[in-house]
Amino acid sequence: MSAAMTQPLLKIDNLRTYFYARSKQSFVRAVDGVSLEVGQRETVGVVGESGSGKSITAMSVMGLIGAGPGVIGGSIHYASHRVKKNLLEGLENFIDIETENGRVMKVRKNESGWQHASERLMSDLRGKEIAMIFQNPRASLNPYITVGEQITEAVRLHTACKSAKEARERALYWLEQVKMDSPRLRFNAYPSAMSGGMCQRVMIAMALSSEPSLLIADEPTTGLDATIQSKIIELLEELKQDTGISTLLISHDIGVISRLSDRVAVMYGGAVVEYGSAQSVLDINAAIKHPYTAALLASVPSEQKIHEKANLQTIEGDVLDTINVPPGCRFHARCNQVTPEIREKCASHHPELIEVAPGHQMRCWRFVS
Amino acid sequence: MTSIPLKAIAFALLRELALALLLLLGVSFVVFAILYAAPGDQFSVLLEGQLPSEEVRAGIRAAMGVAQTWYGQYFSWLLNVLNGNFGTSVRTGQPVAGVLLNASLNTLYLTLGSMFVTLAVAVPIALYSSVRGHLAVISWPLTMLGYLFSALPVFWLGYIAIYISIHGFNFFPLSSSSQTPGQHDWLYTLVPVLVLGLGSGTISEVIRNLREEMSRVMADDYIRTARAKGASVWRHAFKEGLLLPVTEIVASKIPFLLGGAVIVEQIFNWPGMGRMAWQAAQDRDFPVIMGIVLAAAAFVRLGSLIQRMIHIAVNPQGARD
Amino acid sequence: MQNVKTYSQTNIEVGQFSQLPLRQKYAIADLLYVAYGLLIVALVLVSYILGMFDLLPHDPQQIHMDMLLAPPASNGYLLGTDFMGRDILSRLIMGIQAYFLPGLLAISIALTGGVVLGILAGYCDRKTETMITYFTNLVDSFPRLVLILLVIAAFKPDIYYIMVVMGITGVPAVATAIANKIRYLAHKNFIEAAVALGLRTRVIIFKHILWYNCRALLIIQATLGMGEAILLETSLSYLGFGVQEPMPSWGNMVQSGANYFLQGNFWPSTAPALAILFTILGFNLLGDGLNNILEDRRGR
Repeated sequence: MSAAMTQPLLKIDNLRTYFYARSKQSFVRAVDGVSLEVGQRETVGVVGESGSGKSITAMSVMGLIGAGPGVIGGSIHYASHRVKKNLLEGLENFIDIETENGRVMKVRKNESGWQHASERLMSDLRGKEIAMIFQNPRASLNPYITVGEQITEAVRLHTACKSAKEARERALYWLEQVKMDSPRLRFNAYPSAMSGGMCQRVMIAMALSSEPSLLIADEPTTGLDATIQSKIIELLEELKQDTGISTLLISHDIGVISRLSDRVAVMYGGAVVEYGSAQSVLDINAAIKHPYTAALLASVPSEQKIHEKANLQTIEGDVLDTINVPPGCRFHARCNQVTPEIREKCASHHPELIEVAPGHQMRCWRFVS
Repeated sequence: MTSIPLKAIAFALLRELALALLLLLGVSFVVFAILYAAPGDQFSVLLEGQLPSEEVRAGIRAAMGVAQTWYGQYFSWLLNVLNGNFGTSVRTGQPVAGVLLNASLNTLYLTLGSMFVTLAVAVPIALYSSVRGHLAVISWPLTMLGYLFSALPVFWLGYIAIYISIHGFNFFPLSSSSQTPGQHDWLYTLVPVLVLGLGSGTISEVIRNLREEMSRVMADDYIRTARAKGASVWRHAFKEGLLLPVTEIVASKIPFLLGGAVIVEQIFNWPGMGRMAWQAAQDRDFPVIMGIVLAAAAFVRLGSLIQRMIHIAVNPQGARD
Repeated sequence: MQNVKTYSQTNIEVGQFSQLPLRQKYAIADLLYVAYGLLIVALVLVSYILGMFDLLPHDPQQIHMDMLLAPPASNGYLLGTDFMGRDILSRLIMGIQAYFLPGLLAISIALTGGVVLGILAGYCDRKTETMITYFTNLVDSFPRLVLILLVIAAFKPDIYYIMVVMGITGVPAVATAIANKIRYLAHKNFIEAAVALGLRTRVIIFKHILWYNCRALLIIQATLGMGEAILLETSLSYLGFGVQEPMPSWGNMVQSGANYFLQGNFWPSTAPALAILFTILGFNLLGDGLNNILEDRRGR
């Protein structure tokens, strides 16, 4: 299960994606130095609150960031048995960055050049090697085209099945795989006729039908009813077993993450703060734990606490302002585990992501010897 | 391949047709109301014109005492109209219906042609500036040009066009439609079509509308999915971003174009409804202008009906709304 | 096709949106549009008043046989003279009389009617809404110019009759805009919230819906409507209805100069045409610019 054995399928290294707030004349540092890996046949869960940058990370991998300045640095190495490349290869040539005190203050970007180069890099990967599913499945499907047609489009674009008849068979096959009831009937239906859960199944079918090596699932259960959520997670578990696909799963729901992930990355304020196997990261009793992860896990009430009708555990403070990023550790203002020895460091220096145990990385001054 | 719920579509189409007819009924009522309210006993003049011979007229004049109520008169008038009897022109004494048919075809030609011109100019500009986003600096001068053309009085544009074609191309684009057919005859028709297409003031609105719609669609979630899928974004955005907005705005601009046609036909002496209307207003030739108003409204409703039908055919949910 | 963008962060205090200077708040194009539009409105107003009190550089009807077709800036005739030696500038200023008050009448009717119908359609039950939709579709079925010609044929070519028709035909646009706005507010539960707070219907409609939410819309409709009124009046007087020679109207000025235009004497037709162009452009740009600034918040 260790991803270190073979070359990882996806290796994101120091990715930085910034946006620009005109009204405040400053950068929004949405993804600020994210590094993580997805190995072959493994599911990596990325968990964090809204605004932590997890969705933007996924969109950056797919090259779907439209607003400026967008992806400004880092590398994304993709290595499947068919394709091996850096998805951000050569793009730094189009970007010019000026920093001050380690903070990016000015970015000059050749938009058209960058877009063209990025398209050239990504166009044979999207859908074919890397497929993505989104939250809000009903809005993510084209309401003017039947569901079956949308799947066959994916099949014809990315697999060897080019004829309409073959593609239709494939699409029906996948509809069955995602446990869609009456697939032949649903094939000719429009998304507006289906519930959210059904639409999400369609999206999964559409994504998997092109036989990608990597699936990126951006909040696949958000917006669905609780019972349907459970069903979708079950489906994803099964598909994971059956197809052996690698997944980058993004969610703010720890429950979803824990059920599906082999490894977990916890994100806060645009950076990964803890990264390791699901057992070690999500174990609430582990000794080595990032304060944010600890607080996150503690906020999910356990059976006992519900029984006791205890108060909900919250994390003090406000969501990080990604514009006015503090100089030190980003979680410092809300951290309840700051000790006097490291207080000054926490306030002034941003900690690096270091390995605290085999396969377990942490970004916290508490664990730096 | 795709099964469209046929029953729902047929039902929706019938409903649209019924609505269109109902509106035309309303139009006829408005026209009749103006007719009735007009000073100088227009109605009798019209009625007399609608009847075939003197004896019949005399007979009906007597019988008119029966149909004194306004709704009685409305129905008899309406029946005549539905039978194709629009009365006879006060000026020429000819039945209106015959002349109107020819003229309306000419105006149809002019209107359709100019619509084509407007779209040919506006659509590329709108698409270019919406797909490129703010990246294209060149879109601003084009937008400005669109505004200028919209504010331009079409009659002046007409004179410029005439001047250019006379002195530049040795070409007299006036009243050539009725001349003997020659080899380059259709070229003569180009000038008024161009003038109406460019000068009718709709270009900048079409550009703005299309650009908004296309930009809105491009930002929609399902386009993001199409991109992630590696599919052709254009193919997915086309229906909602281009086809539907274009048909909608074309249908809504028909009344506008017909108004512009009045002026353009007058300048170029084009034998269409517009010129007839101008003539009729000058002569107070009520039956003629009345027929034209009815025909024009019918055009408008027809255009709207076609647009609704396209909308329903393309949008499966539209059948249900 | 290079397209290089620069993003820079200054060290200014990251403050609130409204504190930024105008130039950074709104797209510069919109500000220019509004500035130009306001300039035009001011010019029209001033010219109207000048015309009303006859404060013109020359008598617009006065024929000067010795100065036919003089080019602009010759001998005290700022914009030259026409084919009868009459001062073009004075005629242009007088021409505003032809459309100013009638235009105001038209937009008042359109706005009043539109507001009433729009509120009824947006606020009341489905049946009322359907009826009003029928009415607006009905009015929209008539091409404006053709309908006016019908009215002229039936009654008389009085500009005020015409502007009443113009006003009525302008009602659908305003009504649909307002009804849509109300539907939008209702969708956002704004109206429900107001009712829940115990506000009286009259207050909700006048203060909250109209004043706070619709005033931008109404201003924009008024400016665009004025532009259309000008176009309509000039088209009609061009066609020979409305103000008659020798009284000047921009439309009949273009018409009477037409023959001279084709002979190469462009100015007598072009001057009023340009006046029409720049004036309507001003109203349209004002409307669009205001729309972008007030409604869409495109200024970020």
